[in-house]
Amino acid sequence: MFGDKAFKALALLTLFILLASSLIGCGATPEPTAAPEATDVVAEPTEAPEEPTAAPEEPTEVPPTEAPPPEPEESSIVIAIPEDPAGFNGHVSDTGYEQMLMELTMLGLTDLDPEGNLFLELAAELPTMENGGVVVDEENWTMDVTWTLRDDVYWADGEQVTADDVLFTWDAISDPEGGIWAEGIDYTGGLEKVDDLSFTVHYTTTYPNYAMHFGGENFAVWPEHYCDASQGYVAWDCNREPLSSGPYLLEEWQTGDYISFVRNPNYFEEGKPNIDNILVRIVPERAVIKTMLIEGDADVYMWLTPTEIAELETLDHIGVTFSPTNRWTMRLIPNLAARGSIDPVAEPHPILSDVRVRRAIRMAIDTDLLTEEIFLDYNEPVWTELFRPPYVCEIPRPEYNPGAAADLLEEAGWTDQDDDGIRECHGCETAEEGYVMSMENMIYAEYGEELELAQQLIAEMLKDIGIDLELSIVEGPVLWADYESGGIEQNGDFDLNLWDDGYPGIDPTDHLWVYYYSAAAEPDYGWNVGRWYNEDFDYLLDEAYWLDEEYRKDLFCQMADILEEELPQIILWTEVDADGYSMRVEGVQATVNDIMTWNVADWKIVE
Amino acid sequence: MGRYIARRLLQAIPMLFLLSIALFLLVNLAPGGPLAGHGRTRRPNPEKAEQLKRQFGLDQPLAVQYVVWLVGNDWMNVDADGDGIKESKGTRRGILRGDFGFSFKTRKPVIEEVGERLGNTVYLMTVTLIIVAIIAIPVGIISAIKQYSFFDISVTTLSFMGQAIPEFWLGMILILVFYVWLKNPITGESLLPPGGMKSMQPGFDLWDRIQHLILPVTMGAVGWVAWYSRFLRSGMLDIIHQDYIRTARAKGLSERLVMSRHALKNALIPLVTILALDIPYIFAGSIYVELMFSWPGMGRLYYQAATGRDYPVLMAILIFASMFTVIANLLADIAYGYLDPRIRYE
Repeated sequence: MFGDKAFKALALLTLFILLASSLIGCGATPEPTAAPEATDVVAEPTEAPEEPTAAPEEPTEVPPTEAPPPEPEESSIVIAIPEDPAGFNGHVSDTGYEQMLMELTMLGLTDLDPEGNLFLELAAELPTMENGGVVVDEENWTMDVTWTLRDDVYWADGEQVTADDVLFTWDAISDPEGGIWAEGIDYTGGLEKVDDLSFTVHYTTTYPNYAMHFGGENFAVWPEHYCDASQGYVAWDCNREPLSSGPYLLEEWQTGDYISFVRNPNYFEEGKPNIDNILVRIVPERAVIKTMLIEGDADVYMWLTPTEIAELETLDHIGVTFSPTNRWTMRLIPNLAARGSIDPVAEPHPILSDVRVRRAIRMAIDTDLLTEEIFLDYNEPVWTELFRPPYVCEIPRPEYNPGAAADLLEEAGWTDQDDDGIRECHGCETAEEGYVMSMENMIYAEYGEELELAQQLIAEMLKDIGIDLELSIVEGPVLWADYESGGIEQNGDFDLNLWDDGYPGIDPTDHLWVYYYSAAAEPDYGWNVGRWYNEDFDYLLDEAYWLDEEYRKDLFCQMADILEEELPQIILWTEVDADGYSMRVEGVQATVNDIMTWNVADWKIVE
Repeated sequence: MGRYIARRLLQAIPMLFLLSIALFLLVNLAPGGPLAGHGRTRRPNPEKAEQLKRQFGLDQPLAVQYVVWLVGNDWMNVDADGDGIKESKGTRRGILRGDFGFSFKTRKPVIEEVGERLGNTVYLMTVTLIIVAIIAIPVGIISAIKQYSFFDISVTTLSFMGQAIPEFWLGMILILVFYVWLKNPITGESLLPPGGMKSMQPGFDLWDRIQHLILPVTMGAVGWVAWYSRFLRSGMLDIIHQDYIRTARAKGLSERLVMSRHALKNALIPLVTILALDIPYIFAGSIYVELMFSWPGMGRLYYQAATGRDYPVLMAILIFASMFTVIANLLADIAYGYLDPRIRYE
């Protein structure tokens, strides 16, 4: 039917395509990554019997063969995640999925439960001043912490987990060439081996978070005899082919498709884990993951949005677990320096440098309405950084009162004399006469539609008191890029931004430093991008690097008072942390102190 | 022809070189950077950011970064540990020696990242393109021959729908219908899987592979079928009204011969050209299809690299895509000259 030449050309093309397909499509498919096979734990050599056992004189009758009992069917679950994890190392990438894989296979010394209680993994006991594990030199403000490891934890190849592994891991992390900055690194002078299962950490200061230094969601101990230090901590092969000490062994990794795990028969907790196989499926579209959960093709789905929670809670076969406390808080970041400047003293922001304006903005935002209408009441209003146990400070909830907010703006010299609905400066202290109260409000695109709606609603609320907001949505990598890359916040090129953050674990010290300490206002030195300077706050924060918990609580609450007084950030609400799971899986518990798989060894199938 | 191909290939070298400079500048000068926006640590610790910059080579001027990307840095001293002293030779060999660097996200060699995905995309897109050709060519021909018939009007309507439907929405609807609503009457399971390349089972199962292909291929093919069939219909209609077709009919040739030997042969010439120009898609993949159906291919890799500012991965994909485009253009020109005797390449 085709013309000869056209047919030949088509045939040629088809042949080319088919050849390419068969050569590249099939031939180049990589071999899945597989972890080394588990071997039995090296057993203590048993003594040979002194007398050889005598052979029976009479041949015994062979019993009739019975059919072996059917092997029990292996239990398995599917965890669906929307993103390819970079590997098993939480220090290299922090999407949360690396931490999820890490919890399946690797152990640290300690970890936190959802309530914020510390529990032990590799550590035999928690060093304290009382048991002599922590020794403080009060003259030099330094301290030594001595850890002892459990003696019954083994790598999947049968080697024991020892202090050498911890020292090896820390050396690899601290290596300036192939390592990476990690929590505690700034305060660590060095590690010293005491014996095969003990080591001492020499700190250059008192470090209150020492108990989580070698644990938590990002830190794992890596095997010295298996990982190649010359490849560097961030790039070594073990990040993708780990040798397990945790409850599961990596079986196969098909990049972009799935990662499968099998139970570690040598896991140190007797009888655990309960589930034989775990399959992590990578499904980029979240709507598809939710559908798979509903249809029974996925068993666990992390980090539900409020809309998803509302839908899944109506289904009998799906459970939703909530973290007992929340971590992420949505906040407005007012720039106290003029736009494009990083000096709030020489060039103060014409509108936001006046604390009365910041206070008026907060009073005009109805956080109850926002959390109810957009976040379906799953998010909760909060108004201070210090709202999480163990550091909960009694800061009275600010009232929502647009009338009082308008009065405050009048008092600050911002009035609407031309009756266009937007205030202008008429006697204000921070701007020229007639300066219009109009600003840009930025959010980051990755959050999605709910934040866009919140941004619009906030703009409407502020419009009601005569503040005009121009709304923008930018990509996170643009908003938060470093100074040289033109990062909007590091360069101070914004008025009022809206985004969320919160600290992992239970120690807010570093979080407060990064966001509020004066030195953190320098470009690329921290994230005090509102450029707020307060010496009293700096002093209190310096003091907080101490071990006395009661004293620290007092210090943190004094800091909370200062933040409440000056409002360098306007804290609005805290975001729900919830995971969805099939009701056939028991034991899933959401947490903000770690990742969903923090207790995976305890999960069970209950058909 | 051989000299022509050689000349074109030689011409492509400076073109690709200039293109690489333009792409490198575009990628690196785009707003934002790779140190922020990853996962939960949106605002990296300053010391960590400094360390990452050094490890990624971003602490060097852009011109130096380009040279390192192109020819490597194993011939020059670098400051690998951040002490301000350039004490050791670098480890990069540059793309001219096959080293595309490492992914900022996974720290794996880029060539490995691309290699893991390329085969999957070629597999999906080849099947899609074959299905497109099988459907679009006959549909286009029949539509032209039976112009304004019920078939033609129906196909025209469907074609417009196919071109108008947002690809992403179509994917969602396909999943809703074939995964959620329709069930296998015997097993009670979903009729088709919602994504992935295969089920978790040992061995090769052809039917399982086909089941996993149906929805992504459908999503990818709908727009293409609509476009190709309309294109062919239009080409055929132009040709069947030419004088030489009338002459052929006047000679007494059967309508079938007139159409196959005289009309279709000429109508296919531009289609073959377009088909050749679409070859780069076979390697680049479709972002939407791969995202929607969890297909671990190049489109998804590109999307992740672009949103995460993974410059080395991004550059590798763009350079490969440029090379394939140059080759595809050459193939199209060769095919055109082969099919149309009036064109001579000397």
